[in-house]
Amino acid sequence: MDDLVVVGHWTAAMLRSSTPLLMVTLGETLTQRVGIINLGVEGQMLGGACTGFAIAAVTGDPLMGFAAGAAAGALLSSLHAFLCLVCGANQIGSGIAVWTLGLGLTSYFGRPFVGDKVRGLAPMGGPDLANVPLLGPILTQLTPTAPAALLLVVLVGVWLYRTSTGLNWRIVGESFEAARAIGLAPRMVQLSGIVAGGLFSGFAGAILSVDYTQTWANDMTKGRGFVAVGLVIVARWNPFFVLPVALIFGLSEAATLRLQAGGVSLSPYLIGCLPYAVCLACVIFASMRESRYGGMPAELASVFGRRSG
Amino acid sequence: MNGRLVPRLLYGIGGAAVFLVLSSVFLLAIGRPPLATLATMAVYAFGDGYSTSESLVKATPILLCALAVILPAHLGLITVGGEGQLYFGALLGTSVVVNFPGGPMVALLPAMLLLGALGGAVWSGIAAVLRTRCNVNETISTLLLNYIAVLLVDYAVYGGWKDAASLGWPATIQFPPAATVPSLFGTRVHLGLIVAVVAAVVLHVAVNFTRWGLGLKVLAGNRKVGAMVGLSFASNTLIVMALGGALAGFAGISETSAIQGRLQSGLSVGYGLTGFLVAWLSGQHFLRAVPIAIMIGGLIAAGDALQLYSKIPSASATILQGLLFAAALGSSGLLGRREERHG
Amino acid sequence: MSAPLVAMFGVCKRFGAVTACDNLDLEIRAGEVLALLGENGAGKSTAMKVLYGFYRADAGEIRLDGKPVSFGSPREAMARGIGMVFQQFSLVPALSVLENLLAAYPAAPWLQFRGRARIAQALGWLERLAPALDPTRPVRELAVGERQLVELAKVLNLNARVVILDEPTSVLTPAETQRLYGFIRSLVAAGKAVVLITHKLADVAACADRIVVMRDGRAVDRALARDRTPEDLVEAMVGRDSLSVIAAPPPVHESAPVLEVRNLSANVQGTQIRDVSFAMAAGEILGIAGVSGNGQYALAETLAGLAPITGGDVVLEGVSLASCRRDGAISDRVAYIPERPLDNAVVADLDLGFNLALRRICMLRLFPDRRVMMEQADDLIRRFDVRPPQATLRAAALSGGNLQKLVIARELSDTHRVVIASYPTMGLDVLAAEAVYRSLFEQAACGACVIWISEDLDDLLAYAHRIAVIHGGRIVGIVRRQDASRQLIGRWMAGMEQGKAA
Repeated sequence: MDDLVVVGHWTAAMLRSSTPLLMVTLGETLTQRVGIINLGVEGQMLGGACTGFAIAAVTGDPLMGFAAGAAAGALLSSLHAFLCLVCGANQIGSGIAVWTLGLGLTSYFGRPFVGDKVRGLAPMGGPDLANVPLLGPILTQLTPTAPAALLLVVLVGVWLYRTSTGLNWRIVGESFEAARAIGLAPRMVQLSGIVAGGLFSGFAGAILSVDYTQTWANDMTKGRGFVAVGLVIVARWNPFFVLPVALIFGLSEAATLRLQAGGVSLSPYLIGCLPYAVCLACVIFASMRESRYGGMPAELASVFGRRSG
Repeated sequence: MNGRLVPRLLYGIGGAAVFLVLSSVFLLAIGRPPLATLATMAVYAFGDGYSTSESLVKATPILLCALAVILPAHLGLITVGGEGQLYFGALLGTSVVVNFPGGPMVALLPAMLLLGALGGAVWSGIAAVLRTRCNVNETISTLLLNYIAVLLVDYAVYGGWKDAASLGWPATIQFPPAATVPSLFGTRVHLGLIVAVVAAVVLHVAVNFTRWGLGLKVLAGNRKVGAMVGLSFASNTLIVMALGGALAGFAGISETSAIQGRLQSGLSVGYGLTGFLVAWLSGQHFLRAVPIAIMIGGLIAAGDALQLYSKIPSASATILQGLLFAAALGSSGLLGRREERHG
Repeated sequence: MSAPLVAMFGVCKRFGAVTACDNLDLEIRAGEVLALLGENGAGKSTAMKVLYGFYRADAGEIRLDGKPVSFGSPREAMARGIGMVFQQFSLVPALSVLENLLAAYPAAPWLQFRGRARIAQALGWLERLAPALDPTRPVRELAVGERQLVELAKVLNLNARVVILDEPTSVLTPAETQRLYGFIRSLVAAGKAVVLITHKLADVAACADRIVVMRDGRAVDRALARDRTPEDLVEAMVGRDSLSVIAAPPPVHESAPVLEVRNLSANVQGTQIRDVSFAMAAGEILGIAGVSGNGQYALAETLAGLAPITGGDVVLEGVSLASCRRDGAISDRVAYIPERPLDNAVVADLDLGFNLALRRICMLRLFPDRRVMMEQADDLIRRFDVRPPQATLRAAALSGGNLQKLVIARELSDTHRVVIASYPTMGLDVLAAEAVYRSLFEQAACGACVIWISEDLDDLLAYAHRIAVIHGGRIVGIVRRQDASRQLIGRWMAGMEQGKAA
């Protein structure tokens, strides 16, 4: 019985860590599916975390925080959309610019909120469920954001693969010519994809600050946005695969926290490298197999592509 | 040629104008008079000898990190790893000092600098190998490696290298004079600046006037054709990434030695990212990066001074950098579109 | 005579200084196949793209059912019943056949679970055209002939009244071509109008009811198919009695082989060549015929030494290629004119001067002399008539024909032992093609072994000493020109029988 409780604790920790990453990776998947790479998700996530936290602190309502965070992410992403779609700027550069702005703005305007605490969402189950095997720890430690994220994975996946709008987005990501041939406006679809990514990443940041840690600290996302960009490749641009991939990262992060907290003689900083190393390992693994499975939307490939025959 | 010069100037001026407008909006939003504040910043940056030297101090690691981005860019590689290479170079260079604190300058200083450069080269080399062997996109790998390098330095300064005399502050021992990079003209500006400028010139000549540089252009344009005429993308990737990393690593160790005096947490205030920005602002041009790095160094130094004297948090400098980058990207993008239509 | 379904009056289309369509009048009638015949670059595709809404006409009028129309996009044309099947298919390779069809099908259900009846409708035409095709397969797995059928089904799904086919038979085996002719006839029998854009007289002979010949953007001849002989058509197409005769290359002496290919196998980007064997004497021209996509690219790359050999060997003048591993670099003794030169032969962003010096890059001095490089480039540009003659232009700024001339200037300006030319006259007009042939035959006359991959059987039958046919990555037959016939080669191309090496 004890084992199940332990497994339950680990599962709960894994799901808690994964939820923000799951959301931002889903968002970036949508963006990349329409042929745009947005490195600015790190800045968007920061923007969502800071704005979400601020609104939640001021209004006392975590849901308002989530909404504000999503809006902030969407706002930052629209800068990326403007630079890439209207000005024709390089997508990598534009993403870094959005990241810089997100970092700077949240460092600046988030200062008064550093160290504050907000009220997050209530857990799904009351404390009396704590000892129920397996589900107990999950219900008592997780808030509704976790199942909401899982549900979103399914919804986004079904939307992408089984609806006409999803099919249209995929076509834009594969071939502008084919998209125009069936009457789509590729740039408009790309705009939607970028803003959708912004909503998701902003929401993810708000979950991180309001729900997961219930605090705000400078640069608190610590590169999770970039991890997400890498994980999109590992998940082969498939929303359904985003789930296991995000869970792997969440598991490594949960393991990191446990190891840092509990009596392991290794330096916490060394342990802290684990999530990034795991992400890098996953990206390496996925990249080596890419030649066999392909899968990168063709229009995205041309962002990196030079003529190499 | 003339037909392209005028639009370029116009778009450049337009970009600068957009930047000024956006900066003013930001300054107004925080309740400061825009023009006055910008003028104050200009004075803080280059107003007198001391300010200028401080700007040059900041410009040194920025320029080196910019070169670390520009060189791989000539092969078509986009790396954002300056920060990580800087940290790892500092780490490796410091290892010499920590292990041989009593050594003579003639041996200690070169060994430290060499190992610093080597550290940066190795850190960048990891991304290069991952690119050529495993086809891992170098932008993502360098971004992730940045975070790992920062953690490794933390590991060292919180752990085995922590100076007992520093009263809990995570830092190594003070670097002895034998391990301190010499400064110039009695200011804080150090040898690193000379190395940076020389490197910019050497790289400019090498990439634009040698057979090797031509080979880079071919590979960047069409890797398959490059292979056909006997050029190796893999070897050249390793070379440019390692060279770039060496420069960033040198920036790390020279910053540690000359400016900070010891290896500590928080060594860099985003010099890697700023270097990336300077590289893009200069259009991936080695020589243009020098004045632009100095200008941005001035911006950051002014930001520090604003925090000190005007109580404006230095994050404002980051915001201004972001606005500048966005304005530059926007105007150069639009210029590119116009040239495509008319050219 | 019934009123025409579509009528074009005085249509003009210019691209910068080039006039693609010049005062064009055209009529398309229901229940009839109109063949739009002409050489490459005559303006046939452009004319139809104007009708299809892909381009806006600079002048002139288009009437559908007697009423003036102007389509701003292909979407509008499709909505009015005009469909076009392009040479470059607009299918998305990564998606399945069904997804490609649904994307273009106006009545497709939004949520695919809930519209099974409409999905079945979308597959209706596909089942008629290609009953054995599994619609869940991704398009990238399909052969070219199958993709064309999917593209055709896509167009027919829109209830097109006018079906325009752009060079449909250039990518098909003879058997698939016959099947397509059958479909065309059945479409016409059902009352549709079919426009067949082609440069092949065989297509015209097989299914055209009326013919319009285009040259330099103008309609130079209009007639019923039965009123014109092939000679009349050729004269109208090129403006001369017949193509000028280039001196056929001299016959080869029986001598020791210079190039020996023994059981060569390789795998190039997923395409395999297997067990290829042949030998060539000095000065011999070997033509390689075959439907595109049967391993021509893989064979050319392997012979040029650019792809690793997995089995067998290539021996040139006694030196084995497999043993000298230069990691994908080309030997000095081999000249290579690859297909798709912009992707495979030049660096698009570099100027002509650099591109012309590319083969010698590893032998340049540490600080190369730009002036000398440009002087040499100017000389080559003049000799090979590359236009515009500016060595400082980027290679990407050249038109297809001039780019090909540039590559030939680089590769054929010196003598080599082996010349590999892959579709060297693709996209070139007749004059430029003649110049290419002259260069190739000059090389042969100087003793080079010329391997010439082409889709034009007429040219091969006229000029090559021997013709080999490639199918599925194997050489299925080699025959001397004197012993060759179209039927034999056509059977080999379709993989129907094996021949003996001659």
